[in-house]
Amino acid sequence: MQQAEYKIKLPFFEGPFDLLFHLIKKAEVDIWSISIAEITDQYLSYLQSMKELNLDIASEFLVMAATLLRLKSKLLLPRPTHRGEQEEDEDLFEINTAEELFQRLEEYRIFKETALNLQKREEEQQKIYLRSTGGQKVMVFTRPETVYTIWEGANHLSDIMHRFAEATLTDAYVPAFSAVEDFVVAEKSDYIQSVLLKYRRPLPLKDFINAEGLWEVIVTFIALLEMARRRKVILLQEGTFGTIFVTLNQESLHEEGDSGEGKTEKDD
Amino acid sequence: MEKEKQKKTIEALLFLSEEPEKVDKIAAVLSTAPEEVTDLIRELQRDFAQASRGLQIFEVAGGFQMGTLPELAPYLEKAFSEDISSNLSTAALEALAIIAYKQPVTRIEIESIRGVRSEHVLENLLKRKLIRVSGRKEGPGRPLLYNTTPDFLKYFGLMDLEDLPPLEMEKQE
Repeated sequence: MQQAEYKIKLPFFEGPFDLLFHLIKKAEVDIWSISIAEITDQYLSYLQSMKELNLDIASEFLVMAATLLRLKSKLLLPRPTHRGEQEEDEDLFEINTAEELFQRLEEYRIFKETALNLQKREEEQQKIYLRSTGGQKVMVFTRPETVYTIWEGANHLSDIMHRFAEATLTDAYVPAFSAVEDFVVAEKSDYIQSVLLKYRRPLPLKDFINAEGLWEVIVTFIALLEMARRRKVILLQEGTFGTIFVTLNQESLHEEGDSGEGKTEKDD
Repeated sequence: MEKEKQKKTIEALLFLSEEPEKVDKIAAVLSTAPEEVTDLIRELQRDFAQASRGLQIFEVAGGFQMGTLPELAPYLEKAFSEDISSNLSTAALEALAIIAYKQPVTRIEIESIRGVRSEHVLENLLKRKLIRVSGRKEGPGRPLLYNTTPDFLKYFGLMDLEDLPPLEMEKQE
């Protein structure tokens, strides 16, 4: 452990193409005029130094080494190419000629350099700070006819609000909130509870909003909120913007026991 | 609603919004024509510039958004250093570049260009919502197809996919 360690820093390469590209650049040659023999030797000696440094060599690098050696040997021992015996190897590269190698390198170069351009844009854009509330939704209620969600991009709950808002903004419809009668909401709550009792598992919130009318949407929504508030149901969400599930609060069932199933346990 | 108030409303709306807001949506809110909204936003942009404010309104991902001026970044970074989002790795950028220009594209196609396996990179990009699975390719194995998302545009400050920087084709130096 105490022996002097050589700290030789090898540049990191994303993959064999990246390494080859680096070698070509170092040799200051054009992709199309590389000598396969030379590049193969350089490539192998690089892998050798990785090995000496006990670095893990990803399998892709080795596959490329094999590919390069094959190309090199082909050049040294020109023979009629009989395509028949082309092995069905699981070659990530499937490069059979130098020409093909050049093409692949060129394609890689295009995207590598384009990625650098994107990186510049990333940097630029990250200099602009945006408002962030940590993904919380803010709904703005002003007057009944101008209810809308400001945040977009979320599904589910805000979808519902959006349908609501769209209808509110476009439908020729008459006043909203003040007209929501208690009994309608109560009716809806009963319905929601009966559905949940029947299925006895969490159901997506969306499933309860199947009706077309704006009125239905509002009532269902208010009923659910009301039930959640009274702890009759639990609303579950797996992470921000995840699907919202509605499930019965088992505790409340036992406590109240007022829903059909009779046999109330007596508690104070 | 008179013009001045519309303008104020747009400013307030963009101030509150975490996402680019589409002109059509603002127009619906104000019950006015989209062209009207665009004009008002342009006016706001000029107002902001002339009043030498720390904020700007810019166009991105098909909408408008309010953000800080780039030159303030060093100071804001000091103030909010804890929530700086980490930059993308070179590998992620490579994969993203391929997806952006070749979409829809399969994992194998991406790997064949990069010459390395890219599962983890794709997972990471999916998690960051910069790409999405858009379907399956017909053919053997029916591999998943990947596309970029609106978040991708926002992340790089692009209006739309046309706004991508040109591919680095044959460069004669």
